[in-house]
Amino acid sequence: MSIAKSLIIAIAVLFPFLKGYASGLKDSASIGVNTYNDNADVNVYSPTFSLMKTLSKNFLVGFKMRVDAITAASIKNGGNPVRVDAVVGASAKEGFDEVRYAPTLLMAYDDGDNALSGGVYYSTENDYDGKAIFLNYTRQLNEQNTAIGIGFSQSDDRWKPVFNRDLPKDYRREGKVDLFINQLISPESSIQFVYSYMNSSGFLSSPYHYVVQDSFARFENYPDTRKGYAIAARGVTMLNDTNSVNFGYRYYKDDWDISSHTINAEVWHDFSYLFSASLRGRYYTQTKANFAKEVGGYNVTDTYFAVDYRMSAFDSYDVGTGFIYRPSLSSMWKYRGSIDLYQTSRNDYIKNWYDTDSIMAVYTTFNIEYEF
Amino acid sequence: MKYLVWIALLMIISGCSDHLVWVMSYEKEYFAQEKMSMAPLSERAEQEGHIFLIREASAGGDSSFQGGCGCR
Repeated sequence: MSIAKSLIIAIAVLFPFLKGYASGLKDSASIGVNTYNDNADVNVYSPTFSLMKTLSKNFLVGFKMRVDAITAASIKNGGNPVRVDAVVGASAKEGFDEVRYAPTLLMAYDDGDNALSGGVYYSTENDYDGKAIFLNYTRQLNEQNTAIGIGFSQSDDRWKPVFNRDLPKDYRREGKVDLFINQLISPESSIQFVYSYMNSSGFLSSPYHYVVQDSFARFENYPDTRKGYAIAARGVTMLNDTNSVNFGYRYYKDDWDISSHTINAEVWHDFSYLFSASLRGRYYTQTKANFAKEVGGYNVTDTYFAVDYRMSAFDSYDVGTGFIYRPSLSSMWKYRGSIDLYQTSRNDYIKNWYDTDSIMAVYTTFNIEYEF
Repeated sequence: MKYLVWIALLMIISGCSDHLVWVMSYEKEYFAQEKMSMAPLSERAEQEGHIFLIREASAGGDSSFQGGCGCR
């Protein structure tokens, strides 16, 4: 069944319940900065900005802008972070190696029992243009004890390699449908179940990664279609007046035979009415793609080549902390921030490409929001 | 088949679900607190969603949108 057909059926089931209630939409503006730094010499600094404006009590429009300023040895060298790449012949640059601009236009309708939101996304950088639309609908039921919803997104992106390479296909398209159910199970707890279906087509590998063995070199080549699904369960519960915990599990499976399990948990504590902070952990494990071979194991006659460690089996771990702060109970200002340490397990492909045993990264977020 | 199961489930929940009213409106004060959200830090959720898409081969399981970029 196609994504579009699924969307039409689900909306047909849900829309007869439309009726008007109060809205929770608010005017707001926010600025922030996110960072990402890892031991593969990738550094990303991302200023963010958003403005949300209600046009009526039920309708809101918004604009979000994200800029990624990136330095990366892989960009300087042309593809490989640890050796200058004779294949693509790139030369080193001063300052940031890449700047990505990603504006998003949003709209939202909310009448208390029905929430409809959507938007358009555009992203441009030296070698890649991304375009996408997305739409979400949520219906509150059972005196707002149950919420059911559907989300849909479709992208149509274009590769523009920085060197003269004719790709077999220059596009990448990704569609995603999410179905979700939230249920309050007590005055202190709620649960959520999500099912996602994803469909990708086009040039799905990197145009810069390549396999080098004794007698030959080949650019990465993956199948040009990929279909997968994910099922997830999440919950949040109040432990006592000042502590809560949220937790989740996700299972992912696709037709490249990659499957994964993800578990995460986060504990929040109110240090005062104005300041809350959290500790959290996440564990992820995945299997390899069915076309991925060991390092050095490819034959010149193979159809598919993969050098990206993400096509191999590995685990990852994440620990972090976050906070939310308001200057006063009546303040319209809100400050949010977080810092996380992320690390993969040891992996031969990471060693082969990045010359380090594992990827270790630190990423942060900081955001100031004003509601008016 | 799985889509039919989901649609049937949605219809059951939306049509015959008085038994799912487990929390009265006057009992929902905790759910107004940010720490009772599934993702209290929306900026971090967006940032890590992007990072995990770049660093791992899995996706989905949430209702968020992640736009494409060349780093993937």
